[in-house]
Amino acid sequence: MKTNHRQQKPLARKEGLVIKELPDELLIYDTETDRAHCLNETAAFVWQRCDGRKSLAEITRELSRKATAKLDDKIVWLALDQLSRNRLLIDPAPPPTRQGINRRDMVRALGLTAAVAVPVVASIVAPRPAEAASCLPGGAQCGASVQCCSNLCNDGVCAST
Amino acid sequence: MVDLNRGTLVSRALRQSWRTHHPNACLLTREQLDSVAPLLYESGAAGLGWWRIRDTEFRDTPSGELLHQAFRLLALRARAHETEIENLFRLFREANVEVSLVKGWAIARCYSEPALRPYGDIDLLVRPSDFDAAARVLQSEDARNYFTDLHLQMFELADRSIEEVFSRSQLVQCGAERVRVLAVEDHLALLAIHLLKHAAWRPLWLCDIGMLLDTMSDDFDWDICLGRDKRRANWILSVAGIAHALLGAEINDGSVAHQARQVPDWLVARVLKNWETPFAHLQAPLKHSAPIRSYFRHPPGLLKDLARRWPDPILATVTVNGIFGKRQRMRYQFGNWLLRAARLATTGGVN
Repeated sequence: MKTNHRQQKPLARKEGLVIKELPDELLIYDTETDRAHCLNETAAFVWQRCDGRKSLAEITRELSRKATAKLDDKIVWLALDQLSRNRLLIDPAPPPTRQGINRRDMVRALGLTAAVAVPVVASIVAPRPAEAASCLPGGAQCGASVQCCSNLCNDGVCAST
Repeated sequence: MVDLNRGTLVSRALRQSWRTHHPNACLLTREQLDSVAPLLYESGAAGLGWWRIRDTEFRDTPSGELLHQAFRLLALRARAHETEIENLFRLFREANVEVSLVKGWAIARCYSEPALRPYGDIDLLVRPSDFDAAARVLQSEDARNYFTDLHLQMFELADRSIEEVFSRSQLVQCGAERVRVLAVEDHLALLAIHLLKHAAWRPLWLCDIGMLLDTMSDDFDWDICLGRDKRRANWILSVAGIAHALLGAEINDGSVAHQARQVPDWLVARVLKNWETPFAHLQAPLKHSAPIRSYFRHPPGLLKDLARRWPDPILATVTVNGIFGKRQRMRYQFGNWLLRAARLATTGGVN
C-alpha cells in the first residue's frame, strides 16, 4: 500500500489560475472559486513539481535535496492534502490523512523531523484594497470637468464616456 | 506622538517607501501605524506601506498583517492586469494600430515590484488617425471586458503635440508582447499635472513622482519634461518639491532641485491636509450634497453647500491656469469659483 502511494504522480491544476511568484511564497488566485491562496515555500515547491510525471517519492527526494536532509514522505503528503483541499490539484489521489492516518499525528511527526517549514496553503482574506482610479467615472459627483474621465462635469455629475 | 496629524503620518509611512532597501527604521510608532494603516489601505498605498515595514518589527503586528495581505492581493491583481495588457497589445498589433499606454502598468513596471502600484483602468493614448481603428479593437469580443480609456489628447500633455509624444515613446516588454509607453520625461510631466488636477489627495500619486525622481537616469532631459509652458513647468517643479519635502525623493539635477525647493509652504501643508482623508468620496469637490441646480427649486441648504464648494487651492490654481506661488492662491480660488458660477449661469448647469 505504501509503495502505491509513493508511486502516485500528482498533477497540479493550472487552468483558471493567476499565479504570482514572490521570493518566499507563491500566490495563486483561483478565478473559478474567486479565492486567493498563499503557498509557503515548501507547499510551493511541492505544487510546482506536480507535473503528472514525478512520483511522490521523487518529489520527496527533490525536497530532501533542497533541505539537505532526509525527509519523510509525510511532508509531501501534507502539502498534497492541503493543495487538494484547495482545488489546486487535478484528480488527486486520497492522501494518507483520508486513509486513517491522523493529520495531527502527521504534523507532530513532521515537527520532530522537519528540516523545512511545514507546508502551508493559506487563504488570503482581506477586504479589497483600493486601486488608483485616475479619473472619476460617469455618474460620480464632480467640481470641474478635468476631474471626469469623460472630461465633462455636467451639473456636478461626470458625464459617461 | 499619536496626535501628529494623519497627513503627516501618511507622509512618514510612505517616506522613500518605493525603495528596495530601507536602512532607516520606520518613522512611526506602532500606535501611529495602526492609525494610518486604514488610510494606506483605502487610498491604494497599502502595498507601499507593507514594502516600507516588511523588514521592521511591525511586520507581524495586526496592521502589518493587514498591509501584507493587501500586498499579496495587489500582487495577484497586478499579474492579472499584465495578462490583460499583453492580450490587448496583441490585438492592437494584429490590427496594425499604434497606441501608447499611459500611467497604470507603464508606471507600475518602474517600481521594484509592480504590486506596489495598483491601478484600475487601462489608459491609452492614440493618434487621431488611429482612433477609430483602436476603438474597434476595444469593442471587439476579446477586449470589451477590459476597463480601458482611449484618449485622443490629455489635459496633462496639452503643451506638447501628440506626434512629439509618440516620437519619444518607447517599446518595452510585457510578457510576450511589446508595449508602447511614454518617454519617462513625458510621463513625469503627465503624472505631476495629473496629481495637481486631482488636488493631490491620493498619496500614491506622489509616490510615483518620488519613485521616478529617485530612479531617473543621468540622461533624463528636464527641458523636455518641463516643456515650453512656464506655468506648467512651475506645476511640475512644485510637485517635485512636494515629493522631496514629504517623501524624501532625491532630485538629481542641482538647478532643478533648487527650483523645486521653492515650493510654497502652503502647498505642502495643503497636500498633508488632503491626505488626512484620502478617499475619493470625501474630497472637497465631491462631497457636495447635491448638484447646484437642484437648489433652484429647493433653496434650503444652498448657503451651506456653496461654502463647501469653495475650491481646493490646488485644484483652483490648475483650473484657472495659475502658478504655485506664495500668495496668489486666494485669487485663483475666487477665480475658479467665479468661473464655475458663470458657467452655471450661461449653460444652466454645465460646470
